[in-house]
Order: sequence, then C-alpha cells, then structure tokens
Amino acid sequence: MTEENNIIQKAEEELKKRYTRNMAVASSNLCVHCGMCIDQCHYHMATQDPKVSPVAKAEHVRRVMKKEHDWLRRILPWWVGAGELTEEGLDRWVDAAFRDCTLCQRCIVNCPMGVDTPLVMATARGVLNAVGKSPEILRELADAAISREENMEFFKEFYLEQIKSMEEELQSKVGDPKACIPVDVKGAQILYVPLSGAHTIMPEAEIFYHAGTSWTMSMFEASNYGVFLQDPVRAKRITERIVKEAERLEVEEVVVTECGHAYATSRWEAPKWFDRPWKFKVRSILEVMDEYIRLGRVRLDPSRNNGISVTYHDSCNLGRNGGLFKEPRRILQTCVKDLREMTPNRRQSICCGGGGGLVALPDYDEVRLKAGEPKARQIHATGAETVVASCDNCRHQLGQLNERYKLNVNVMGLAELMANAIVPQKKDGISSASA
Amino acid sequence: MEDAILKFVKFDLQIIALSWLALAYLFKIYQILRLPRPREVAPLKGSQELGVVYSYASLFLPWSMESTRRHLWRWIEFAIYHLGAGAAILATFTIPFAPSMMTRDISLAMAILVAGAFVMGILKLWRRTMSPDLRLVSIPDDYFSLAGVEIFFLFTVMALVTGLPGWMKAYFITTAAFLFYVPFSKISHYVQWFFARAFFGLRFGRRGIITPRRAMS
Repeated sequence: MTEENNIIQKAEEELKKRYTRNMAVASSNLCVHCGMCIDQCHYHMATQDPKVSPVAKAEHVRRVMKKEHDWLRRILPWWVGAGELTEEGLDRWVDAAFRDCTLCQRCIVNCPMGVDTPLVMATARGVLNAVGKSPEILRELADAAISREENMEFFKEFYLEQIKSMEEELQSKVGDPKACIPVDVKGAQILYVPLSGAHTIMPEAEIFYHAGTSWTMSMFEASNYGVFLQDPVRAKRITERIVKEAERLEVEEVVVTECGHAYATSRWEAPKWFDRPWKFKVRSILEVMDEYIRLGRVRLDPSRNNGISVTYHDSCNLGRNGGLFKEPRRILQTCVKDLREMTPNRRQSICCGGGGGLVALPDYDEVRLKAGEPKARQIHATGAETVVASCDNCRHQLGQLNERYKLNVNVMGLAELMANAIVPQKKDGISSASA
Repeated sequence: MEDAILKFVKFDLQIIALSWLALAYLFKIYQILRLPRPREVAPLKGSQELGVVYSYASLFLPWSMESTRRHLWRWIEFAIYHLGAGAAILATFTIPFAPSMMTRDISLAMAILVAGAFVMGILKLWRRTMSPDLRLVSIPDDYFSLAGVEIFFLFTVMALVTGLPGWMKAYFITTAAFLFYVPFSKISHYVQWFFARAFFGLRFGRRGIITPRRAMS
C-alpha cells in the first residue's frame, strides 16, 4: 500500500468515526447553496474571495461526505457534487479548515437552514490531525501542556518562584504584607486557572484579594491546543490535569481566566469527554467578577479609569459559543463611564480573526491580519480609545490589528480594567490602597 | 367525462408518487436517527426548549439574523417562493380530492401566489448564474431543481387559470415526476431542516446564547 493510500484510508476511517447525527445533517443536501452565509464570514468580508465563503470551505468536506452517503453517489456523483478523497483534496482542507476558518460560528447563527458549517470545519481539522496534516506548532503546544504535568517536579520550583515575586508585587500594590497568591490550598473555594504570564494573574489576584475570596492558583495554564486540533485524546488529556487538580484540592469551582477557548472547552465541551460528572462547577472569571459587583463584594469607581472611552469585543468563544454577553457588559458599566457598542455585537459579533489557534501559526500571519480588517473597521467606527477583550488570543490579534490598521487604541483585559476601578477598603486596620 | 389519462395522472399516479416520497423520507429519517448523537452534559445556562422554539421561529423573524436583516429582499423572495410552492403542492391535493373547494376565486388567488413564486424562482436562477460566489458552489442539481420547480410552477399557474385537460395533465405529470426526484435532490432540504434547527436550538439554547430577550434579561 502506498503512503498516499494509507493516508486516505486513515482519513476515511476518521471521517467514519466522526459521522454523527449532527454531522450527517450538516454534510447533507440541507445546504441549498443559497449563499446567505457568504458575506457573514470575516474572511469573505475582508477579501471578497468566493473561495473563502463558509459554503465554499464546507463544500470541500461535504463533497467527500456525499461520495460516501448521498443516494445518487454511485450513479451520478457529479450531479450531486460528490467527489473522492485525495491527498491534494486533503491539502485544500488544510487551508480551508486551519487557515481560512477560525470556527467563530458566525455562519451558523446566520444560516436560515441551520447548517453547522463550524462542525464540518472542525471535523476536517480532526481528520487532518489524525493523518498528521495539522499544523505542527499546534501539536507541539498541545504536547508541551501535557508534558508539563508529566514533568511537574521540574516546573514546580520555577513556577513557585514566579508566583512569589508576583505575590510581593501584589502586597505592594494593595498595601498589605499579608496579601498572598495561594497555591495548592486544599479546600479552597475556587481553583483559578490562568494563562502563562502575569497579565492573567495579577489583576485577578487583586480582585480576589479585595473580594476576600478563598482561592488557590492552578499549577497549569488554561489554554487547550488539543481543541484547536480537534484531537479528542490530547484535548481530554490537557483538561484532565485540571480536573484531577480540582478534585485533589476539593475545590467548589474551577474558575477559568479571560480565555475564550479555554472557557468554552472547560464549561461546555470537556464534560462530554468524561464518563462521570465532575464534583465542581466551572465558571469564567467574568461570571465571578460580575457576581462580586452584584453582591457588593467590591466597590468600584469608574472615574479611577480616567474617563476613558471603551468598546467591548465579544470573543466568539465566550459569547457565541459560551453564552457570556450580559456579564462583561454589566462589569464594564460599573468600571467606565463611556461604553460604546460595536455594530453588530453579541451573538452577531464579527470575529477578530485570531481564533481557532491562528495567532499561534506564524505561516498564516498575513491572512490572519487581513481577515481582521472588518473588526478593525468596527473598532474604528466606535471612536473609542480602548478596546476591551476577555480573551488572550483576541487581545493578541487586536494588538496587531491596532498596529496594522493604525487604530490608535489601547487593548486591555476586563480584569485589568476592573482592578483599576476598585476602591480599596480597610482590612483589619490596614488600608488596601494601592495608589 | 374526464379522459382516462387525466384520471390516471390525477389520482393513481399521484398516490404512487406520494407513497414513494413518504417511503423515501421515512428511510432518510431512519438513516439520520440510527446515528449516534453527541449529547451536551454540562449544566444548563439557558433553556433548551426555548432555544428550539426560537430556532424554529427564527424562520419567521428576519430581524433575528444579520444575514436576513442585511438582505431583507432575499428573505421576502424566500417567503414568496415558499408560499407559492406551498400553494402549488396544496393544489395537487385539492384539485383531485376537494374539487368543490377550487372556486374560481380560490384558483385565481392560488395562481397569483404561484406566479409570484415563479418570478422569485427566475431571480434565484439569475443570481445563481451571475454571482461568482454562488457559481463556485453550485452543482448541477442546484440548477436542475430550480429550473424544474419553475416548470412545475408554470404548469400549476396554467392549470389553475385555464382548467384545461391538457394543462392539467402536464401539471400532474410534472408533480409526479418531481415527487419521484425530490428525495434525491436538494429539494428534500426541509427534512433535514427540522433536525438542523432542533440541534441548533438545543445547543445554543442550553448555553444561553439564543434564549429570547425577555428570558435573558
């Protein structure tokens, strides 16, 4: 058997495994090629290229599915657009699924038929990954996350040192030498899962401090590159590290940092991969921050944010895939005086172009920044000075769009903005004032 | 006295064709239902039931989607086309089985609806031929189904307006031919539509993404 035959056979087997009820419907002639999705995709908005419309991208996969399942596949394959799976075809899938689609879901919410094009594209990613055609960088990043757990002793010391230095920074910021960033605390209420880097630890630590939260830091980062690969084994393995940690520490809830895909994965997708219910609940830090404001656990003064005008970017994974629309807006309304909405927003928000793991793939930089043009236009139209995004990938992309399209805006996270607006309260006679 | 051919195409042929369509659709539905369906097990944020209701209702709410808001004319075109199709299909039952219902006024009203759909179909065909975006993704079945439905609409209008045996025969033969072809074509999209909208409503409703505004506030 030649290598090509081997790849094709493997791809077909993977497709068969992924042929669920939803996939059968999404890849059938449910799609009538009406074209209503075409100008809803940010790639098409930016380029007007017919090849990057949702329907055109999905057709690469759909034609192969039709070859397997359409009733006319044997006698009139060309009539129904059915075609064989070939290695060149798989290469076209790579462009369609990994480069030209961020799985943002805007096409499905705008399809009158309800064609689940993101599912079709995600299936393509999974098949490509199974035959070794997924981007190597994503595989390496996923494997690095897995090896972190396997080599925890090696990482732990360095990690604790970093936390110690952040803790000192926190103490000086809040003016309390007892302020701490707890790690490995059994029985804490919250296990907070950050990303790599202080920017997803310091603002949250400050908020937790002022709210008097019982919390502990996770030893792992929230991001899950296995999801971008649609690799169920890697994705589950990465999530499992946090599940085991949460169960070992007997926390009540896992709180995911400002990260779109990590939230959508932990909250909505990952529970399907485990054959037992979890003993803890999963929330986004946005839900926790919103709760603190509503319960009056922190006092905020919007004037502490220096009267900046702000616009909020709905991350696709937090909003359209995660259901968090109200929470960030309620937080913003208490943190700033001038909040300007982009149009369209919420469920209809336009993807920034950085999702689906694209910010980690330098080969696609040019395409990614071009695809971000509609978002740049949206931001520019608001006239806001600051763009708030609650997803690290989105912030990275928005920062680059800012430079590319000369938007002259400041890109911030919501926790950072909220931490800035906190009015320090006296704790045990010690002022927690930072300023 | 009705001629034998007209009687055959009006009754026997229709019943045979409809039976075939029903069997084919039952098999299509069976093929979908026998497949595994990945279930969402994470705790609810919104309502699955309201999500499904909203998902089905969105067909009638052009303002609920950016695509139909931006292309309102396309939605109007869709509405007229499908209303006309509904009238044309209804006539295949009422003409043979409830002839007393088909008064001159009702026949004329139905003919006007179907004629409207015919015009919308021409626009659809024109767009599919002219737009590079649509040409790229169009398959022979897309053109054939659209053109075929146009012929069906044309014969429906002529049969309803004239009532002449010749047009009636053409109308019922086209109907039967279509009923045989539909399960193989994109015209059967409405079978999968029920599934697709339900899946959409379940997922997006459960996650609190498409719960109606009042329930979300």
